[in-house]
Amino acid sequence: MRSSRLFKLQAGPAFRYLVPIFIIYAFTVLLPLLISMYYSVHSEGNAKFVGLQNYVALVKDNDFWFSLKNNIIIAVICVAGQVGIAFLIASFFMTKLLKLEGLHRIAIFLPVVLAPIVTGYLWSLIYNYRMGVLNWVLKLFNMDPVLWLDNPSYVLYSVSVPLVWQYIGLYFIIFLAGMQNISKEVLEASEIDGATWYRKTVYVILPLLKNVMSVALILCITGTLKVFDHIYVMTGGGPGRSSMVMAQYAYNNAFTMSRLSYGSTISIGMLILCAIILLVMSRWIGGGEEK
Amino acid sequence: MRKKSSFAVKLGYVGTNVTVLLFTLSALFPIVWMLYTSLKTNKEFNLNTMSLPSSPTLDNYSNAFNIGNIGSAIFSSLLNTVIAVPLIIVFSFVIGYFFSRIEFKGKKIMMLLFLAGMMIPIHALLVPLFVQFKWMGMLDSRFTLILPYIAFHLPVAIFLFDSFIKGISKEIEEAAYMDGSSFDYTMFRVILPICMPIMSTVAILSTLGTWNEFSFALVLNKSSELFTLPIWLTFFSGQYTTDYTGKIAGLVMTSLPIIVLYLFFSNKIMTGMTAGAVKG
Repeated sequence: MRSSRLFKLQAGPAFRYLVPIFIIYAFTVLLPLLISMYYSVHSEGNAKFVGLQNYVALVKDNDFWFSLKNNIIIAVICVAGQVGIAFLIASFFMTKLLKLEGLHRIAIFLPVVLAPIVTGYLWSLIYNYRMGVLNWVLKLFNMDPVLWLDNPSYVLYSVSVPLVWQYIGLYFIIFLAGMQNISKEVLEASEIDGATWYRKTVYVILPLLKNVMSVALILCITGTLKVFDHIYVMTGGGPGRSSMVMAQYAYNNAFTMSRLSYGSTISIGMLILCAIILLVMSRWIGGGEEK
Repeated sequence: MRKKSSFAVKLGYVGTNVTVLLFTLSALFPIVWMLYTSLKTNKEFNLNTMSLPSSPTLDNYSNAFNIGNIGSAIFSSLLNTVIAVPLIIVFSFVIGYFFSRIEFKGKKIMMLLFLAGMMIPIHALLVPLFVQFKWMGMLDSRFTLILPYIAFHLPVAIFLFDSFIKGISKEIEEAAYMDGSSFDYTMFRVILPICMPIMSTVAILSTLGTWNEFSFALVLNKSSELFTLPIWLTFFSGQYTTDYTGKIAGLVMTSLPIIVLYLFFSNKIMTGMTAGAVKG
């Protein structure tokens, strides 16, 4: 009681710090959203108020929905690739059969800290038609070189691989930490009962990791919905629009075509879509837990 | 029977180790390739993509400085990091301290607004922030990027501090107040030193974030003397499209400080980056 009064008394001097810091934050994160809402209801060049005209155009914009579709495909690949593989590797760490665990951990996480742009450039060199590593390998097997980033039919997969490569480590460490929180007794009991690695992983570890798994899924999906740096560097959304994603589309409109109003509209549309997807996902995951 | 099971164990042992080793190698290979290719000449690279450098040379690096003027990009990146990171630490410590200790009106809303900052897909702010800075004439200056870099890193840092400080006993502050310590003194001289472990985590994470940031640096600054390393890379590869090894040297110079930092603080970085996920 006494201590809570003591801290209440201190709220006064606290505001001296709180207000300026919050103003900085609001100025850089919240105010831009208001300004772009203003832009999104005005015509290009800020000439006159046009109401929801830009939004109507956005809803009818085939290219925008196409980029969303690409975002979703990339998200599906990343969920399988990042979260799936990461879980697999983490479960191998639980077998106690592994040597050099520390080294593996450090190596697998290393790509996570690289700049996305470095990953993008590094992989565009690996994908390079004439001198890339991949075509060098194909040549070893006497196979024809492949246009990894210039063929519309698989460019989307090509740009997803570096994303998977870079972030497996993140989810791996998340799962590993989660698995180490599982009580030893539970795991030992399952081993005494003669559970194989597969059975232990699927029937013991996975159900106990439900919370960690749902956080990982949300992280992975929201992460891939906003992907930009990698795509910008590797393809810029091309060839044509075949690897276009929402953030790249907003960038192209605002900066290459100087359509700031429409670029703002896309940004807000992107925010709304991400919010909806996040909401649906947390509902879905929350609902799943009740069962 | 016994023999069979020992064979199965052996198989499991080999299988596990080989599989994980393959993943480790695939994580490392592109980085190792980048490191040794930066020591090759373009001619040698054209002849063979994979070979080790026959006579390692630092020419690519000296060219990056002399022709590519990477020095000014290194300076810009360093300056942004050196200014932004300490401010991120102080600001997020203060807010985290208030959130965990003090009840005040509007705290819930404020926490929600900071939490929103973690949820917002940051690229959705790309166009809006450009529009705002253009409006206010804040584009294209030495300090343009500082503000966004601070603001974007605040939410995560605040929640790291908040949860750490919640674990510190309140009796420490009470004792300090009994001894006549002022509010500021208690916060900065009593609590802050206790927060050392989480402070270093915040420092490293925000250094990584600031150093690696690309999209806002791309949009908000246009003058070449303000280019940060990631922007310098795009500019360089746009100008010297066939200078592959030069570009790779640029990649190495952008990544090497990060890799070194990582090798020293890998555990801190891992726990910091995954803290929220595991707890939630």
